[in-house]
Amino acid sequence: MTYWAMNAVFLAIVAGVGIVAVALAATGFRTGVRWASIGIAMGIVLVMTAIFDNVMIGVGLVAYDADKISGQFIGIAPLEDFAYAIAAVILLPSLWIILGRRPAGLGAGDADGAGGGSGGGSAVGPTSRVDAS
Amino acid sequence: MGLLYLAALLVSLAGMVVLDRGYSLFFWRDPRRAAIVLVVGVVFFLAWDVVGITSGIFFRGQTEFMTGLLVFTELPIEEIFFLTLLCYLTMNLVGAAGRLLEKRATR
Repeated sequence: MTYWAMNAVFLAIVAGVGIVAVALAATGFRTGVRWASIGIAMGIVLVMTAIFDNVMIGVGLVAYDADKISGQFIGIAPLEDFAYAIAAVILLPSLWIILGRRPAGLGAGDADGAGGGSGGGSAVGPTSRVDAS
Repeated sequence: MGLLYLAALLVSLAGMVVLDRGYSLFFWRDPRRAAIVLVVGVVFFLAWDVVGITSGIFFRGQTEFMTGLLVFTELPIEEIFFLTLLCYLTMNLVGAAGRLLEKRATR
């Protein structure tokens, strides 16, 4: 298995979680997360990855099988490594949003757990509340 | 035993905690949610690492900067702290960017 083939599997999982979070937001659920802040974080994490991944590879913390990577690099960092950064910035805020879907102080009822969100979102949150607190 | 990398990670993590506490970004915003997000994130990335290692895609480099303690074949204990830092940094950044945008919007 190549590095990209493996990344495709894990990025698919990340995309799935991201879609659940976006779907929740589309139902009017108050996410408490601004989409622009995820974009800003993405830019910074990618730049930091470019810097520190080069350092980490340069000092010999990690090495790669040349036959399993694409051969595309940012400096000496394989392009595939950036999948970790992209995954982090999509997966973690999405989890944060999904876990916040039980609105505090409102009645229980929301019994189908954190992993749900498959369409039945209308009962999820107070649609009248606005995002800016 | 090389402690340099581990020490650098711990210092960076301490920085994340200081920023989190100072600006209520992640754990200081919702501790329960933050704990779940961090643990799920680190476990997810560790699984990714393990698949990468067992597939022979990447492996531990030859270096004097690491302790040599392994939690799995070719998986140094430092990696757990690195992944924790990656996750904590990410959520601190999202939190901080959100606060800045909020401030700008309400001004």
